[in-house]
Amino acid sequence: MIQLKGVNKYFYQGEPREVHALRDIDLTIEKGEFSVISGTSGCGKTTLLNAIGVLDSISDGEIILDGKEIANLSAEAKTEIRLHEIGFVFQAYNLVPVLTAEENIGLIMRMQGFDDAQISQRVREIATLLQIDDKLDSLPNLLSGGQQQRVAVARAVASKPKIILADEPTANLDSSNSKALMNMMQTLNEKEGVTILFASHDNYVVESVRRIIRLDDGALVT
Amino acid sequence: MFKTILQVAYRNAYLRKSRALLLILMIGLSMGVMVSIEGLYDGMSMNMIDRTKRSDSGEISLYANKYRLEHVIKYRISDADKKVLALQKITGVTEALYRLEVDGLAQTARKSKPSILLGIDLDDEKKFGKFEEFLKEGELDFGKNSAFIGGGLAKKLKVKIGSKVIFTAQDSQNEIKSIALRIRAIIRSSNINFDERALYIPRGEAARFLSVKQNSATQIALRTDETHTPTLQTTLQAKYPKLSVYTFAQLYPQLQQMQTMMDVFNTITFMIVMIVVFIGILGVMYVSILDRIREFGILLSIGYAYRYIRYQIMIEALLLGLAGYFLGLFVGLLILSYLTYQGLDLTLFAEGMEAFGMSSVIYASIKSSYFISTLFAIIIASLLSVVLPLRKIKKLNPVEVIRSAG
Amino acid sequence: MFKLALKNILYYKGRSVTTFLLTFISAFFFIVYVAFMDGSHSSMLKNALDVYTGSLQIYQKEYRDKGGYDYLIEENQKVFEILSDIEGIKAYSSRLETFGIASSKKHSAAMMLTGVDFSKEAKLSQLQKALQEGLYDSTGTCLYMGSELAKKLQLTIGDEVSFVGSAIDYSFVAELFKLCGTFKTGMYDFDRQSAFMNRPYFDTIFLSQNSSSYIVSMAEQMSDNDSIAHQISRDLPTDLRVYTWEELMKSMVELMKIDSLFGYISISLFFLVIFFVIMIYGFINVSTRIKEFGILKSIGLSDRDIDRLLFYEIFILTTGALMLATPLGSWLVYYFEIYPIVIPGMSEIYKEYGVVSDEVPTRFEPLTIIWNVLVVFFLNLLSILYPMFYVRSFTPVEAMRHV
Repeated sequence: MIQLKGVNKYFYQGEPREVHALRDIDLTIEKGEFSVISGTSGCGKTTLLNAIGVLDSISDGEIILDGKEIANLSAEAKTEIRLHEIGFVFQAYNLVPVLTAEENIGLIMRMQGFDDAQISQRVREIATLLQIDDKLDSLPNLLSGGQQQRVAVARAVASKPKIILADEPTANLDSSNSKALMNMMQTLNEKEGVTILFASHDNYVVESVRRIIRLDDGALVT
Repeated sequence: MFKTILQVAYRNAYLRKSRALLLILMIGLSMGVMVSIEGLYDGMSMNMIDRTKRSDSGEISLYANKYRLEHVIKYRISDADKKVLALQKITGVTEALYRLEVDGLAQTARKSKPSILLGIDLDDEKKFGKFEEFLKEGELDFGKNSAFIGGGLAKKLKVKIGSKVIFTAQDSQNEIKSIALRIRAIIRSSNINFDERALYIPRGEAARFLSVKQNSATQIALRTDETHTPTLQTTLQAKYPKLSVYTFAQLYPQLQQMQTMMDVFNTITFMIVMIVVFIGILGVMYVSILDRIREFGILLSIGYAYRYIRYQIMIEALLLGLAGYFLGLFVGLLILSYLTYQGLDLTLFAEGMEAFGMSSVIYASIKSSYFISTLFAIIIASLLSVVLPLRKIKKLNPVEVIRSAG
Repeated sequence: MFKLALKNILYYKGRSVTTFLLTFISAFFFIVYVAFMDGSHSSMLKNALDVYTGSLQIYQKEYRDKGGYDYLIEENQKVFEILSDIEGIKAYSSRLETFGIASSKKHSAAMMLTGVDFSKEAKLSQLQKALQEGLYDSTGTCLYMGSELAKKLQLTIGDEVSFVGSAIDYSFVAELFKLCGTFKTGMYDFDRQSAFMNRPYFDTIFLSQNSSSYIVSMAEQMSDNDSIAHQISRDLPTDLRVYTWEELMKSMVELMKIDSLFGYISISLFFLVIFFVIMIYGFINVSTRIKEFGILKSIGLSDRDIDRLLFYEIFILTTGALMLATPLGSWLVYYFEIYPIVIPGMSEIYKEYGVVSDEVPTRFEPLTIIWNVLVVFFLNLLSILYPMFYVRSFTPVEAMRHV
């Protein structure tokens, strides 16, 4: 479903402090996968994840989503792809502070043009699945870390993206919350058939997934 | 220690470049425009007052009692020449002269206008008020039976250089007399009393025309040292009980009032601008402190004294305020120097301005007070702007700050 | 998106309150300031026109340039006929001006003696209302004289005044008149130079039957004046010309333009400062929300969407403030138009500048208020451009890392 061909990424290219963050990455992610990019901190996990999510540009190579090259599209086209094809979950939850949990979850669908009834139905469905249906009216700052992260996951899932990219989603959570989150992600993967790609060095995450992609100093370890 | 605080403050003040830049731009531009407006208005009213003093009243004028009320030649000052000589010796008096004035009718073949005939001594007028600067057209030289005419009156009578004007008035013997005058010069003093009405002739001729002694006068005008003016009025009044002594402010209350109104207006403008500047600095400082609240918590918890933080923040605000001030100083001086040397040219509206006693090119004045008062106001606004944010820090519980942000 | 903007406004209270208040104050202040400025101008003009000048005057083409008896209108009746056919004219009359020296027993002064039709003037000008002492509608050798002039000549009602001048055939005129009434319009120059006399007797002395220096007319509605002037010109004999008040009062109109110009210069300073403060608060607000914009961008909002969000925010704040400021400002302006502020003694001090009344009215003019409000509105919208530009300068990844 997603194919990376010879992807390289340099920071400060051409300057003395140049960093070669991703080295000749060739990688294929199949539909329905439940995988993790793993490695020590600074090895390039987030960079790789951002590249896949067309959040960040790459220096050379190709990223192909469902047969379409997406790495070299215009900024507008990339925005469209992020809106419709990809869901994000971040380490720091990153919810919009002025919106309630329900509105945060429904935000992407709203931008995609769904009507209120559709959004409301879908939000409730996901919220029930993630056990936050009683928190829908709360603002983010009134929720615990675990609840906020579940809202973030629900937001990513709600619009049924082709793939969810989750960057260290458990980093700010204690072990019980981490466990619960991973269980839910697994359920989502199985019930909704969502492709999920983590970037994490959390052992619990690494143990929970079906495929581990190891990264060392920007290169894949085979 | 202080050097460190200064260094930290300096780095923090300009840490957020766009923010600091916006603030400095705001203070600088508003201040620049504000002092320019202040200078322009001051320049305009000072110019009007200056020209009125030079063309007519000086700082102090003396009239025969009752003359100001009835405006007739009967109430005139005798031995004006001797009085002027005596007055010139009084401390505080820099120049003195006398004039002879009468109301009458100016006529050309087709037009007539009520006007005044003003007997002057050209050399005295030049010394007294640089009369030559009022010349608009023609030559400042009284030939035989010739006169200068106020620009507004010339326009009304449709008179040009060389035209003939008949002036008719009642002399001291109550006889109606006429005098034919050839126009040699057109005068624009920006004093509407004269520009719209006056014919100027040599004082001696005026005295002959009015059948009075050569040394008679209707007015003695004095240029005085501003500091002496109030006391001079009382001294002179005591010295000359038969004369009425008036200051400029009494003779031209509307100009005095205009000056006062300009001052009030400028003060209000100044205050409003400074309040808004204060709100601007407050916003920037407040947010910049909120951004760093954790940093301050840490500093406090490792034993940094609160007063150091206070100094640091005060210096930050001052650095921003002063940077704005210096930009404002530069912008203000730039605009003001242009307006002082080139002036604001409103010749487009010349007719309206001249008819109401203003010159059509307005020159600004530059006073150091504009910049000094602004400097103090900006310092005060900067310091006041950190009071609220500092309170926030004072209430801070270091442990909580670190925990909550961690 | 609109809802999100609304929520942001309620969430970031400091910025919202400051922007709202400053917008409110600047719009309110602007409306009131301009209304006072326009109001004092139009009242000055209106007073001047009402007192004597009228809204338009008709002259022989050469009269205003060359003057004198050679260029009088000699067909009053013909012009009257034209005027009587035109709608919207409140009143009209002819005047004949002569100049000369008036003398009492002891004093003399230059005087403009005008032959008028007193009954028509009563409708046309404020001569009758300005009556101070004695009779307005006098006949025969009676004079109706400006109070300042009477004072100067030291005349009381019933006293004799001699006048030396010339008739319209340039023959010498020396006549003895009687002071029957005095007036005070408040226009200083006018009050110290003018005297009026009934037309029939005036004509016998100055030989001026059916002639006039000019014919004056007053429109019912000032706004119709130009079209009336146009209609008159169409029918007028070619040697005559219509002058509207804008031409007659050219110097006053120009002075007012200057005064307005300075007014706008002053007010632009306030706008400059307030514009910056609103921009700074908008900018600070945006810069503390960079991370939030990063999230929004990463989950698929485009730069255009973010612009729209920011636009909505300032739009809502501005519109709210203006919706409050406009009716309040308008009400105040309207109130002071009906009940003007009075500054006692003002007309005395400014008498030489043609200020007749102590009242300082405002002018309630919906169109003016609309453009005032629009200026504030667009300045506010302009103030968000830089913050928008600033947000755009971050890529989503940078924005999310921003602290």
